[in-house]
Amino acid sequence: MSNEVLEEQINSDYKYGFVTDIEADNAPKGLNEDIIRFISKKKNEPNWMLEYRLKAFRYWLTLDEPHWAHVSYPQPNFQDIIYYSAPKPKVQLNSLDEVDPELLKTFEKLGISIEEQKRLSGVESRIAVDIVMDSISVKTTFKETLLEKGIIFCSFGEAVQEHPELIKKYMSSVVPYTDNFYAALNSAVFTDGSFCYIPKGVRCPMELSTYFRINSSGTGQFERTLIIADEGSYVSYLEGCTAPMRDENQLHAAVVEIVTHKNAEVKYSTVQNWYPGDKNGKGGIFNFVTKRGICLEDNSKISWTQVETGSAVTWKYPSVILKGDNSVGEFYSVAVTNNYQQADTGTKMMHLGKNTRSTIISKGISAGFSNNSYRGLVRISKGATNARNFSQCDSLLMGDKCGAHTFPYIEIKDKTAVVEHEATTSKIGEDQLFYCKSRGIDNEKAIGLIVNGYCKEVLNKLPMEFAVEAQKLLAVSLEGSVG
Amino acid sequence: MEAELKTMTTKDKLIAEFESSKNSLFDNIQLREQALEAFSKQGIPNRKSEEYKYVNIELSMKGDFAFSSSKKLSAKQIESTQFLKDAIIVVIENGKFNSESSKVNSLPKGLQILTISEAVSDESYTKHYTKYADINSDVFIALNTAFASGGVFIHLAKSAVIETPIHIIHISSVSENTILNTRNLIVVEENAQVQFVESYETVDLSAKSFTNTLTEIVVEANAIVSHFKIQNECELGSLISTTQVVQKGKSVFSNHTFTLSGSLVRNNLNIVLDGEHIESHLNGLYLTNGNQVVDNHTLVDHRKPNCNSNELYKGIIEDKSSATFNGKIYVRKDAQKTNAFQSNKNILLSDDGTINTKPQLEIYADDVKCSHGTSTGKLDVDKIFYLRARGLSEASAKKLLMHAFASEVLDSIKGMEDLHNYLEERISKRFE
Repeated sequence: MSNEVLEEQINSDYKYGFVTDIEADNAPKGLNEDIIRFISKKKNEPNWMLEYRLKAFRYWLTLDEPHWAHVSYPQPNFQDIIYYSAPKPKVQLNSLDEVDPELLKTFEKLGISIEEQKRLSGVESRIAVDIVMDSISVKTTFKETLLEKGIIFCSFGEAVQEHPELIKKYMSSVVPYTDNFYAALNSAVFTDGSFCYIPKGVRCPMELSTYFRINSSGTGQFERTLIIADEGSYVSYLEGCTAPMRDENQLHAAVVEIVTHKNAEVKYSTVQNWYPGDKNGKGGIFNFVTKRGICLEDNSKISWTQVETGSAVTWKYPSVILKGDNSVGEFYSVAVTNNYQQADTGTKMMHLGKNTRSTIISKGISAGFSNNSYRGLVRISKGATNARNFSQCDSLLMGDKCGAHTFPYIEIKDKTAVVEHEATTSKIGEDQLFYCKSRGIDNEKAIGLIVNGYCKEVLNKLPMEFAVEAQKLLAVSLEGSVG
Repeated sequence: MEAELKTMTTKDKLIAEFESSKNSLFDNIQLREQALEAFSKQGIPNRKSEEYKYVNIELSMKGDFAFSSSKKLSAKQIESTQFLKDAIIVVIENGKFNSESSKVNSLPKGLQILTISEAVSDESYTKHYTKYADINSDVFIALNTAFASGGVFIHLAKSAVIETPIHIIHISSVSENTILNTRNLIVVEENAQVQFVESYETVDLSAKSFTNTLTEIVVEANAIVSHFKIQNECELGSLISTTQVVQKGKSVFSNHTFTLSGSLVRNNLNIVLDGEHIESHLNGLYLTNGNQVVDNHTLVDHRKPNCNSNELYKGIIEDKSSATFNGKIYVRKDAQKTNAFQSNKNILLSDDGTINTKPQLEIYADDVKCSHGTSTGKLDVDKIFYLRARGLSEASAKKLLMHAFASEVLDSIKGMEDLHNYLEERISKRFE
């Protein structure tokens, strides 16, 4: 029984693997200071930004690629990547009518209909979208509606032009370019991304969302997202991503920074569905991402929720620095690996302020020949009085050729801290399956039910719009999988 | 020459020492040279070494060290380290077997205790020696294999059941800074049963001692072995204690490690479950204070199906001390139907103490049940309140709670009453 169902699951196709035939404006392959100047010039950046890029690049040259993660892959050839690729024609878009119809079709195929969004009035629709294809942001919706409330939501490139004071103040304040190998690379060559600023006391009326799409071949995607929540504000932010099916491994190295001020809250949700490679592990995206938020002032909160189903190799640790007193950090994750996928993901919770709290719930599911690791750090610094952490990391194994691993690090330097960590590894119990089947639920549905129940704690945290997509995704990759 | 010595790193010094003394070592020169090469490749671990990131080994190996000591303790001094009423005593003084103080005459049938130099020609010894502790897996295994000079070989014949526990006492009493490399090999044949107590003591220690001890234990099919480690060194003593165990089918092995003192204590406990239906128990208790650094590393390697392992480590951390627990459960592809559990609990009592825990699961088989849990906290204020409401002073309420916390590990000692009582007394004294 088990092989049959597993087979089925392995054969389930990647739905977003098409390529859009759209003309692109590419930079030549390779990485050097000239390329960085080229990108900077293309984006018409001020000098300080170019200086920052070059500083990061020179630092990056001194670094070696990290190898501590529990993943193995051929080292990307950094000279064989196109660092800038923009869908043509790049003109300032005033209305949706000017958007290339091919592009619109692409996003309709992906289930994001810009047209439909346009038809709905701003009050009724709940999502504003910034769409990033390869190196540039192609369209941001509902900008005007948001601006009425004082919310700035635009592409990163635009923010550099229009709000340099905010960029200067916050960019690199959470993830400095010296942070790690891929953060340094991103700082040198990042092309676009989203920028979001929520002013004092504003509760963002709709979900903000960025949709990332890799389209061109031979390119890498290096985007940067910066979210700032000023005093007493709230925003829920969504991120989704897909890529075409190709035999080559494409590199995606992003940086996401979040800053929350007093009493502010940011909820960041990701459904990561980059192309995972084929059944034999050929192709797929290398997803090396640095995501970090800082609860800068008291009573603020940052919550990460992620559903990771794509990418050939994932290397990602959304973290929270709990600096303000009474601040809260959360991390909810479902990571699914299949075929030859490898994921090394988790979080870091750095408790610095008093009465800080953090919760980590991580659910890993591995099938096929994949390896799925949780790697997390909880650090309670001296002086972080009454800090509290609870972590739970569960792994579910399907088949005997995959691996599930847990590597938690817990470092405590304060006697008032209370820290708990639990982890379990198991398969779907025969008795659970039997229970469902004896009530007339067939095998496939029973497994779907059990897996959904297993992930429920995390899926519940997703905003409505994403929960549906995530559940569908889980269904595609896991419905009918075996215990 | 003097000046040259000063600028040499600890690693270079160790290599130079090996070159000058290798001709006086009696056996296995080739193996030792290989081990030295493995040592030189790995080097002394520093803070960047993942496996040693929480202990500052470099610091405790700084300065000049001798490699043996001629200091002799009196029989009375040695006797003071014995706490079991009835035991077969093996004394290892400054890394060398002391035949006068050991009580190894008229051993029960089936039990054989030899010094390493006597054992070189023994068939069973040559079959097992250095076959399990891999010189490339850890730098201190390599260092020990290169330098090992003292220690004992203990052999239990098939079906030998030894009622009296064997107490191996490691004593450091050096008068100048010394590195000691002690090595023991214990082979327990099929169906045999035995209990070992290894204690680490310092007596009249006037300089720093750095003890790097390695015990290899072979547990053949159906054998039952209990192994106790009592670590009692003073604040001049640093201890790297590696225990490499291999278990065969249907055997039962339990290890109990009690770390009561010592300036730096690093325990590496590696158990390989190389057979089916094996049971392994790992229990540990560490009570740290002062500037003590205690680091417990355990590795449970499930290689075959249908085995059980159970691990419980608890610690109470006071003053500026730091404690680390790093436990790894490794379940290989073939090891289906494995049950592996791991638990680590800590109480942090002081503002300057540190706890690092790293419980890890690495699992490649699907039909398994594995879990780990760890918790760190302070003494429960509600519990203290409950006791105080019943007339106990705050100090005695805390003492009672800490005692209760420790007793879970203490009570896992079965059938060794004098050891239990001795530890009970030591622990009670600590909480006063």
